[in-house]
Amino acid sequence: MAELQTLWGSFRMSMLSFFADPQWIIPNIIAPFVFTAVALIFFGNVSGSLALYAVLGGGMMGMWGNTLYGSGFALAFDRWNGTIEYVLATPSRLVWIVAGRSASSAFLGLVNALAILVVAVLGYGTQLGIANPLLFLLALMLTLTSLSALGIVFCSSFLLTRSAQVLTNGLEMPIYVASGSMFPIALLPFWTHPLSLSLGPTWGIDAMRYAADATYAGMGFGYWTDLLMVLFSTIVYLAIGFWLFIIVENKARRDATLEEY
Amino acid sequence: MPEKPEKAIVLSDLRRVYHVSKGVFRKKREAVEAVKGISFNVDFGELFGLLGPNGAGKTTTIKMLTTLLTPTSGTAKVLGFDIVKNVMEIRRRIGIIFGGERGLYYRVSGRENLRYFADLYGVSLSKREKRISDLLDMVGLADRADDRVESYSRGMKQRLHIAKGLINDPELMFMDEPTIGLDPEAARETRAMIKGLVEKGKTILLTTHYMFEADELCQRIAVISNGKIVALDSPSALKHFVKDITVIEVEAFGVAEKDLAILRGQPEVTNVSADLEGERQTIRIQTPRGSEFIPTVTQLLSRARIMDVRTKEPTLEDAYLKLVA
Repeated sequence: MAELQTLWGSFRMSMLSFFADPQWIIPNIIAPFVFTAVALIFFGNVSGSLALYAVLGGGMMGMWGNTLYGSGFALAFDRWNGTIEYVLATPSRLVWIVAGRSASSAFLGLVNALAILVVAVLGYGTQLGIANPLLFLLALMLTLTSLSALGIVFCSSFLLTRSAQVLTNGLEMPIYVASGSMFPIALLPFWTHPLSLSLGPTWGIDAMRYAADATYAGMGFGYWTDLLMVLFSTIVYLAIGFWLFIIVENKARRDATLEEY
Repeated sequence: MPEKPEKAIVLSDLRRVYHVSKGVFRKKREAVEAVKGISFNVDFGELFGLLGPNGAGKTTTIKMLTTLLTPTSGTAKVLGFDIVKNVMEIRRRIGIIFGGERGLYYRVSGRENLRYFADLYGVSLSKREKRISDLLDMVGLADRADDRVESYSRGMKQRLHIAKGLINDPELMFMDEPTIGLDPEAARETRAMIKGLVEKGKTILLTTHYMFEADELCQRIAVISNGKIVALDSPSALKHFVKDITVIEVEAFGVAEKDLAILRGQPEVTNVSADLEGERQTIRIQTPRGSEFIPTVTQLLSRARIMDVRTKEPTLEDAYLKLVA
């Protein structure tokens, strides 16, 4: 119960802070729109699977960008405000605080992705029939959870370093490309495949495409296998995240690195 | 939950070493001992002061006691709990107030700040809103509670800090320079609030730079210098350290640093402190020779324009200056 209160409180504070600071709207909301627009113009008057790549690619960019920046700055934000010590001095486990903030970023990403979908359909006349909306929604939600969990893993390392901004900038595109959001991972060099397959979002976006397009061949494992892999990777990320947070929290107390930024 | 311990805080030979890096390309790590084996106890219901110059180890001590830093060696118990082994038990029962502008979410309201920390401290939802309202009333922020913190004055922010530190109704509070940077009126309000908390039975460990504040508030004071406790007693007992000393206070214009150096070099002078900022300067000279030393002082400061010379009873500040010198 206390953990849920921490989770919800952190989610709420993160949302309030986001809307109180308009500068975040540019990278988090506007950039993915521009990306989708460019993709749709580039693909021309598309429909079916190509449109799906363009719109899901933009949506994923919004979701991943929001989650990564949200996680990266979840603690940097406290360092800037001088609140990090007050937050750490509470009896709440840091991982639940970060999970709440990460969830709020993922939620903003979801809103962003849905807005992109609406704009693509209404603004650009993209025909995007979703064969099985329920399965699509299920895959979307799990992918979002997986992104949040991945964000928590990254965030633990950000507690140890003042270079969160550099790391988030450096991680955004590689993960986005490796997860096959904009184009199939089969187009990527073979040596990148282990990385792609270790990412929950890779499986999640493949599952979404299965649900949206009945003729989609994808990675060849099928919708339910993809979904299981998202679930499995999410559990692994969360386990790693919890374990890392205990380690880095102790290390930060030992090395006195909490206030460095 | 163990039986109520005899003391609120017990420190035994607590030590903390930091490792700092020097250089850019050929980095060298150096060990800096910030706290060098300190021991003291704080009683329940006591307002205990930790006094010392910048870098003396006050904040490091507070951070160890509030579980934000682990000690390098030694032990400490807060409310009967070990600061290394029982971190969460301690965090649930203590409140923290650090001085300064930072430490609040500026873009949201004061009420939202309190709500968030209530959630992090696990204050039950049934009690949360009532406690927030009571605290806002107590610190006089009820009418500005829904305004963004960025629009608050420095004094209002400090009052919000106090409300935040009390959100979990702690038994014990740690206050690190709570009046730093406040104007005199806001500082007086803050001191009144601190006194009120002690009257309500809270135990407080306070650090401050301001001697009159420590003298006014604290029942006992530990003077810390260079990581060590150099004295620990009540303010009146600490003043006894300088009972054989007279303070000559000089108001003057045009006193230079070299004049102070000459004064400090006199064998009859035990300490010289000066406020050289602004046009009118105040110099305090400690000497065991009493008023008979005044002619020597006026002669040594003959290049300056002396406005007033008087002798004063030594204060806690004089005791402090002697102790940390």
